Amino acid sequence: MTLNRRDLLRAAGAAGALGAVWPLSAGLSPAQAREAAEALGADYDPAPFTLGVASGDPQPSSVLLWTRLAPEPLAAEQDLPEIVEVRWTVATDPALRRVVARGTVAASATLGHSVHVPVHGLTPGRTYWYAFKALGRTSRVGRTRTAPSGPVSKVRFAAANCQAFHDGFYAAHRGIARENVDFVVHLGDYIYEHGQVGGVPADHVRDHEGGAVFTVADYRRRHALYKGDASLREAHAAHPWFLTWDDHEVVNDYSGTGGGAPFLQRRAAAYQAWYENMPHRDGASGDGALPDPVIHRRRGWGGLLELTVLDLRSYRSAQNLKDGTILGAEQKAWLKQGISKAPDAWHVWANSIMLSQLRGRPGGSYMFTDQWDGFLAERREVLGHVHSSGLEDLVVVTGDWHSAFVDDLRPDFDDTSSPVVGTEFTAHSVTSGAYSASWNATNGPLMGAANPHLKYFEGNRYGYDVYEVTPERFSAHMRVIGDLRDPASPVTTLTTFHVDRGKAGSYEDPATKNSPAQYRRD
Amino acid sequence: MNLVVNGDAESGPGGTAEPVGSVTGWKVVQGAPALIAYTLGGGYPGTADPGPTPRGSRFFSGGDSPRTVLVQDIALPTAGIDAGYTRYELTAWLGGYATQEDGARLSVEFRDTRGTPLALSVLGPVTSAERGGRTGLVERRATATVPPGARTARVQLVLTRSGGGTSNDGYADGITLTLNTTGSTR
Repeated sequence: MTLNRRDLLRAAGAAGALGAVWPLSAGLSPAQAREAAEALGADYDPAPFTLGVASGDPQPSSVLLWTRLAPEPLAAEQDLPEIVEVRWTVATDPALRRVVARGTVAASATLGHSVHVPVHGLTPGRTYWYAFKALGRTSRVGRTRTAPSGPVSKVRFAAANCQAFHDGFYAAHRGIARENVDFVVHLGDYIYEHGQVGGVPADHVRDHEGGAVFTVADYRRRHALYKGDASLREAHAAHPWFLTWDDHEVVNDYSGTGGGAPFLQRRAAAYQAWYENMPHRDGASGDGALPDPVIHRRRGWGGLLELTVLDLRSYRSAQNLKDGTILGAEQKAWLKQGISKAPDAWHVWANSIMLSQLRGRPGGSYMFTDQWDGFLAERREVLGHVHSSGLEDLVVVTGDWHSAFVDDLRPDFDDTSSPVVGTEFTAHSVTSGAYSASWNATNGPLMGAANPHLKYFEGNRYGYDVYEVTPERFSAHMRVIGDLRDPASPVTTLTTFHVDRGKAGSYEDPATKNSPAQYRRD
Repeated sequence: MNLVVNGDAESGPGGTAEPVGSVTGWKVVQGAPALIAYTLGGGYPGTADPGPTPRGSRFFSGGDSPRTVLVQDIALPTAGIDAGYTRYELTAWLGGYATQEDGARLSVEFRDTRGTPLALSVLGPVTSAERGGRTGLVERRATATVPPGARTARVQLVLTRSGGGTSNDGYADGITLTLNTTGSTR
């Protein structure tokens, strides 16, 4: 008989047994912990490729392939040789018969036996399949895609953010895996660093495996736990991803440049583990080095879309300083230079944390100064530069808030005569808990009244965005799931907003304008 | 043989707490370090404070920048590495001032021909607790196999200031990277 996971959770919770069976409880070996995790909903690919496969940073002739060998994904140490040779294959068919590239790479224990292979010499705008072999085993087959080099008529991509493991199953990633998209952008809060939340199964569908994480071994284990959701591995294997991060990849609300040696030890551990577990291309140029990966980058997609990936954590100062920075001097100069030299295309910024001003009520203070509201001078400078440079067709895609917002971007948000220079779409979270429905009902209209640039707010749902881009129009489809507690919860489209080319500002599709929301201007 | 050039801060300009514009053997990527003499006094590590034994005349500090970064790229001999027979050892003396949490971190990243990281070791930063709340430097080391395919090693020294003030009291000295070809895999 197959145990139903929800029934098992209920039974374990009722018996007070969760503390005894949840992974890494005292007295459990890594193998027993994994068995317990699997009994309660985590599962893994066959060893040693337990964490799956992924690809990232697609370019016209290159894409980065990733895997990590972890036979016992929740163990502090893997029972592996210090160096493991990993073979990789790229083909133009899912059966991997028409091979176009192959090679071997050393997976080192110093990097958690992770593998990052930048494959070159590929054909632009083409779908490929890939797999790895090691220790006599073969990984699942992943699918990826290179960026086109010439003109294209359409780009589709998804954006995901904030996926607290304990708050729900990843039905949103299951949906992303099934979307017909060219790539996925992850906007951060891929993991959470804190300890167990308790309350399984009453308040949460599952829990973290242990306490707050501090060391490389801790963060590796946490990443492995999150990849124990099959839908996340499926989404990674289905599409190439672009990645940025927010705070919880390290610790809540941190500043990358603040703190003393104890914090910097923790940050380095978190950054290293993030690199080890992500399809991130690093080290290609510049003076950087691990454990500080270089995340910000600019990528093109067939002349139709220019994607600018921002890193709003590594170089930021403290909040609310007169001369504070969220970008850091070097990244700000790089961003402004990109604005000045921007090609004629849609300009999309992958922005982990809200750019638009957000007051909680009319005349009230900013709700969160961890977001760009804590870096006012720099926001004015950047958006002022957008305006003075004549940049058009700017769309900023954002995470962090666990709710959906649509905003007009203005250099001066307090001046309604300030020109609209772009649109910000803040997407629902994959799972991370939002405010209550009653809070949203009360505060949606208050936020709308307090922020003339705010056009839409919806906080009762979870999901992701799919963006469909043509030379004429940028459309944001808000995909939502029905139930966080259902790993296979169906996905529907709540509403769609459009931005027309050459015309700043968004509008809601008339067909979905009557969909539920807690604030909508008009 | 130590592959790091001027890992002991003995070469080139320096000797005081004044930041220097260049450091022999290193590229200054951020900030400006000072190469301070152990005899300078003024609360900086002295000849009697914990540190390398024996030690030279100077050590690295972060100068007056909140974050100072030095990088050195080292070409690796291919013999032995691609067979998996070569191990590396990274060592450094890392420290700070009294109970403050300014710190020094040393890392080495082994890279392939395209610069893709293949292996990584990180030492420090050493906390004040690890120094016993005392001004000085303590030794840290890491060893592992050089991954086949590695062609360069990027050694990075990061010196960080915490809190206010102007002096970046992350200290480092005795930085070494050595290779040892064993003739058999581990």
